[in-house]
Amino acid sequence: MCTSTGDRNPPQDTSSGPGGSASSQASNEGYNTQRTGQGAQYTDELNNSEDLVNEVEEEEMPEETEEEYQTKQAVLKASLPFVHQYGWTKKAIVAGAESLGMPPMVHGMFPRGGAELVFYFYEESNKELESYLKQNVKESKEKDEKIKTGPFIHDAIETRLRMIIPYIDKWPQAMAIQTLPQNAVQSWTNLSRVVDDIWFYAGDKSNDFNWYTKRVSLAAVYKSTEIYLIQDRSEDYTDTWNFLENRLEDVVSAGHLARNLQETNTVLSEGAKGFCVMTRNLLGMNNR
Amino acid sequence: MSFPLICQMSIRRISQRAKDEKTRKLLSRIIRVDQAGELGADRIYAGQIAVLGNTPVGPIIQEMKEQEQEHLETFNKLIVEKRVRPTALLPLWNIAGFALGAGTALLGKEGAMACTVAVESVIGEHYNSQIRDLMEDDPEKHKELIKKLSKFRDDELHHHDTGLEHDAEKAPMYDALSQVIKVGCIGAIWLSERI
Repeated sequence: MCTSTGDRNPPQDTSSGPGGSASSQASNEGYNTQRTGQGAQYTDELNNSEDLVNEVEEEEMPEETEEEYQTKQAVLKASLPFVHQYGWTKKAIVAGAESLGMPPMVHGMFPRGGAELVFYFYEESNKELESYLKQNVKESKEKDEKIKTGPFIHDAIETRLRMIIPYIDKWPQAMAIQTLPQNAVQSWTNLSRVVDDIWFYAGDKSNDFNWYTKRVSLAAVYKSTEIYLIQDRSEDYTDTWNFLENRLEDVVSAGHLARNLQETNTVLSEGAKGFCVMTRNLLGMNNR
Repeated sequence: MSFPLICQMSIRRISQRAKDEKTRKLLSRIIRVDQAGELGADRIYAGQIAVLGNTPVGPIIQEMKEQEQEHLETFNKLIVEKRVRPTALLPLWNIAGFALGAGTALLGKEGAMACTVAVESVIGEHYNSQIRDLMEDDPEKHKELIKKLSKFRDDELHHHDTGLEHDAEKAPMYDALSQVIKVGCIGAIWLSERI
């Protein structure tokens, strides 16, 4: 768990969509005036600086614009219903694009093919989970109830896994796609997002190494339950939710075990020290 | 039309989303490395006190340690508030800091002060560059944080001067010691920003 994972937005609402296009229009005007001003500045810099080329190259990163982003999202959203037919593949994306009236060449916008569809679905489900958790927390605050961590986490994981159920026929393929090395980083990021959101809304306030142990253990629970889910044949997947409950209990008892071990260790080391002092006393080696 | 102008026109406009993302990354990097730094500094002083606690210089180190503790608490709160991932190397800095503090203190009071001077000078510069980055990004939005960092930087420079007052430069192999510690700190900062 490293680099860009785990740092989520602070709990303020950053709105995109309508707000985004308004701000992009405003910055468009600013951009025009900025251009002429900066043109003169750049001519000066060309005469003075040698690493102007580096500067310009750095700024020319292929950042996708707001319009590109919205188009891609729309195509992927339209492609989801075709997953049952074509699986998580480029074919599904093409079918989705055509249903929106776009040319099939649009699939070129998605270099990673079916994986893009998987990630889109994963990220949309994560967003849905986040708003569900936010809602829960708000309701608890209004009723002035304290959130019980155990049931909250169980409910959160169950909710998130239930979002997979509509696509469960093709989910094993999605899981396989996520384990491919070229997709591994993004999948890891997505999973980290899930566990970080759950812990954050459950009220986790840890700021030391516990931050990691909590998330790693929850990720293990989530992953194992997901694997159980795709082969579960019980009515409404009740076996899966029982499996989840058992895994969560394991985590709790592991925590207790760790604490017991630490206490035992303290007692044993104190005992050993006492034994040493006693021995020194008997041998007359003490300075007192 | 000149080359720079053509390049300027082909630069695609960065969306608001990407800008927010950049700010978030900057903020989390700063808070993460500062928390690690303050923990390290606190542990260095703890190591020094373990060796030099009963000497005349003990109370001075104790006072500096308490100020570092205050800084650490501030960053602990910020980590939760801004939802920043703490660095995974915290246990490492815990041990390494104590070892560095105790090790330099065994060289005597001058050694401990030399360590303080080296560490605090690196930290002072580091805070300055962070303040510059924040100002470059959005001075209005980050006003609170910039104020806090400025105060902490002043505290650290005060520690630096205290170290010099107490004969840091008389330490054995002062230049070499100072250089090694500074390089170590810079490496630690680089790692904590990323991991």
